[in-house]
Amino acid sequence: MAAFSRDLPCPSRRTWLRALIFVFGACVASAAPSQDYPSRPIRIIVPFPAGGTADLLARQIGQTMSEALRQQVVIENRTGAGGNIGADLAAKSKPDGYTLLMGTVSTHAINPNLYPKMPYDPVKDFAPVTMVARMPNLLVVHPSVPANNVAELIALAKARPGALAFASAGNGTTQHLAGELFKKMAGVDMIHVPYKGNAPAVTDLVGGQVQVMFDNIPISLQQVRAGKLRALAVTGPARSPVLPELPTLAEAALPGYSIISWFGLYAPSGTSPQIIERLNREANKALATAHIRRRLTDQGIELAGGTPGQFADFMRAELVKWGKIVRESGARVE
Amino acid sequence: MSISIRSPRDFCAGLIFLFFGALAAYVARDYPMGSAVRMGPGYFPYLLGILLALLGVVICVKSLVIYGERIESASLRALLLVLGAVGVFAGTIESAGIVIATALLVGVGAAASPESRLREVAVLIVFLLALAVGLFTYGLGLPFKIFPV
Amino acid sequence: MELLANLQLGFDVALTLQNVLYCFLGVFLGTLIGVLPGIGPVATIAMLLPATFALPPVSALIMLAGIYYGAQYGGSTTAILVNLPGEASSVVTCLDGYAMAQQGRAGPALAVAALGSFFAGTVATLILVMFAPPLAEVAFKFGPAEYFSLMVLGLIAAIVLAHGSLINAIAMILLGLLLGLIGADTNTGQFRFTFGLPQLADGIGFVVVAMGLFGFSEIIANIERRARREVVMAKITSLFPTREDLKASWKAVLRGTAIGALLGILPGGGATLGSFAAYTLEKKVAKDPSRFGKGAIEGVAGPESANNAGAQTSFIPLLTLGIPANAVMALMVGAMTIHGITPGPQVMTERPELFWGMIASMWIGNLLLVVLNLPLIGIWVKLLSVPYRILYPAILLFSCIGVYSLNNSAIDVALALAFGFLGYLFIKLDCEPAPLLLGFVLGPMMEENLRRALLLSRGDPTVFVTRPLSLALLVVAAALLVIVVVPAVRRKREEAFQE
Repeated sequence: MAAFSRDLPCPSRRTWLRALIFVFGACVASAAPSQDYPSRPIRIIVPFPAGGTADLLARQIGQTMSEALRQQVVIENRTGAGGNIGADLAAKSKPDGYTLLMGTVSTHAINPNLYPKMPYDPVKDFAPVTMVARMPNLLVVHPSVPANNVAELIALAKARPGALAFASAGNGTTQHLAGELFKKMAGVDMIHVPYKGNAPAVTDLVGGQVQVMFDNIPISLQQVRAGKLRALAVTGPARSPVLPELPTLAEAALPGYSIISWFGLYAPSGTSPQIIERLNREANKALATAHIRRRLTDQGIELAGGTPGQFADFMRAELVKWGKIVRESGARVE
Repeated sequence: MSISIRSPRDFCAGLIFLFFGALAAYVARDYPMGSAVRMGPGYFPYLLGILLALLGVVICVKSLVIYGERIESASLRALLLVLGAVGVFAGTIESAGIVIATALLVGVGAAASPESRLREVAVLIVFLLALAVGLFTYGLGLPFKIFPV
Repeated sequence: MELLANLQLGFDVALTLQNVLYCFLGVFLGTLIGVLPGIGPVATIAMLLPATFALPPVSALIMLAGIYYGAQYGGSTTAILVNLPGEASSVVTCLDGYAMAQQGRAGPALAVAALGSFFAGTVATLILVMFAPPLAEVAFKFGPAEYFSLMVLGLIAAIVLAHGSLINAIAMILLGLLLGLIGADTNTGQFRFTFGLPQLADGIGFVVVAMGLFGFSEIIANIERRARREVVMAKITSLFPTREDLKASWKAVLRGTAIGALLGILPGGGATLGSFAAYTLEKKVAKDPSRFGKGAIEGVAGPESANNAGAQTSFIPLLTLGIPANAVMALMVGAMTIHGITPGPQVMTERPELFWGMIASMWIGNLLLVVLNLPLIGIWVKLLSVPYRILYPAILLFSCIGVYSLNNSAIDVALALAFGFLGYLFIKLDCEPAPLLLGFVLGPMMEENLRRALLLSRGDPTVFVTRPLSLALLVVAAALLVIVVVPAVRRKREEAFQE
């Protein structure tokens, strides 16, 4: 160390400044956007953690689309505030087709009805590209619960108000609101026990700490197949191909009950219609050929598709529907 | 007997705990408290805040009784420039991209130490830029903007 | 003899040239990202997910698992060399590992960490082979009441971590608990201490706090000490542990392995507790606890073994139940999905080659890690002889990139800055940050489970003592409290008499 010490021990402030300015200047002089879309990598913002269904879908679709568009598709996970952080970032990005969002039922239908202050408008700030996938929730109970169908569960809950507890992946999740809607429509009382995410909730359900859950289908389906949980119904408008013998809640006891989780691709509003059209075409192609189509279907996830218009109509209906559910459930986040 | 601070370190530590405890309890007052068996979101933080504030007071009082060490003087240059470098990085990474953020961070950060040499820092910046772009952006695929566009 | 047949099947799968290669690739990548502070296995595994589609499922999963435990392994290197804990489990490795590095004993610290981890990995693999299904049931015995009692035990253990003032340590734990509560309350959705910032809605990340409190503050303090010519870098004595080192370590390795393997099974926080618990135990059984925090080799050997044992056994809930215990495991579920394997209780019977192949590959992976890392120790130690004025800007940059990449959030970097300032204050005031970090990790889980247990018991607080497992944990906690507090009180009284 001593050998170097005659070499400027402490450069003056001005020297530092000059050095910094030099480096700064050297960096700015490069890169300019070109005309043909896409001329640089496209990013898909996923407002949920890596490994979740939304992330998995984005990565699979992204990879297939990237081959067709001959551009890299980068997945960026921006989690936080129930998906609002990532969705807001996408809403405020340049509408140039290089930033997309993997939106969900939470970011575009539940949260706008749940949060008193929303950083973005789900309709005005976004241009829908296409619906990507949907899945129903599954009404499951611990095997010790003396109910083999929905009617028996309702009777049990009526006979002993507040004795049953239902688990959810957190306040304002579909698992929570599906339970609240069930309580409302069946006129029963059950205690809501929120967890941080699906996995710990299912663990306690299998362990018998809680008795009921309206879980997203992929995880609980496996527990049902292994006999560790009993499935009573699916929450969607139609039966699920993976459990065709299982009735929907609407068929079983509560006409009009319908809840599904869904995922969709969005661009910021103001993105040119040509780009939206191109993205829609590629996304639909990707959905049709996605390597994992059958494998996802095996888990109860149904790949969708369709035009931007169809998706926009669907989303508007969802916004109204969830508004009613959230209001009636009294669920709040603030 | 006059009251004097016999352990400046403990006295300051006590003040910090008192501050955070009081702040937490004050803010938590606005959250629903519930009861001990049916706790609301305010119950636990309020209790913790009060406990921490009390401990802060105890530590302060203790510092008036038991002798302890003095606080070493701080080097403002190291403190401000290291934290400043981090701040500059935070402020530029999203708008200006990884290249500028890296150069600024290393430049400002290196100025924190009186041992730094200008020429070495210049070489270091070039080397770290190569790593930041080559290893992190391309190698590990982190979604950085490289240049401001 | 079914066991041997299973093992044979596992090794037949894992020892094909292709799978050994993917295993190596996994642990190599894992070590690399683990060494980089803040860059965790989650981002890397997520990025590689679609790319593994072309591989056979077993190879893909072997590689991804390798990234996970390789990263655990690499993380301790950074903790020892530059005092940067990349995750909760390496916080305690910093305490004595970094102290050893400052004394010029980085080599032995790294070597003992490597050998201890290998031993722990071997034992944990055997445990997986023999007891995976029955152990999985343990997870179900742990309800909210048990988790609460476990967290109480953990917090009392946190007091033992400190070697300075007891009351300061307790205050630091409380502060950590409070910091952990920042964000949306799980039970009600109420935002607490977010001050209107949506970025705080999910709380502050562990790496953000650790990087600030440990990493940034240590850099500032180091520059300062150098400016005053207070640091004389100790000569590097030897790269490998001496006979005394090994003699001091082997029991710590055994104890750490046992604790880590046990706690790793619990989904939700179990694995984190392992290394803390191991450190606490070593400090308690040591003849001279005052050496801890000043470079006691047992303080590296125990936690590192616990950490690695826990990393292996945390696969149990995933492999036997299909329930992911942490973010990495959730990604593994994703990986299985892509490959058409439905993770769940049936994997073991329907895809035995996958189940046993993965377990066997973990042992091979651990072996590869030792082979890969022992020669690397020389290079790592050389790195420390790079002048600090060149080293620290690089550390600073890597830390910032790491923190940023957690959530791609500049706010996180700014928060780490704030914790850097706080950490610097704590250095000046002689308050140790380790208990704060443990409080930070345990706080939210403790409150959540306390309230959940009371919700499920319909407000009956006796639930904590009527459930046998919970009661047992509380009794141990009480005993530990007595062991910790009594000597401290006695010492204080002696000091008071002397005045």
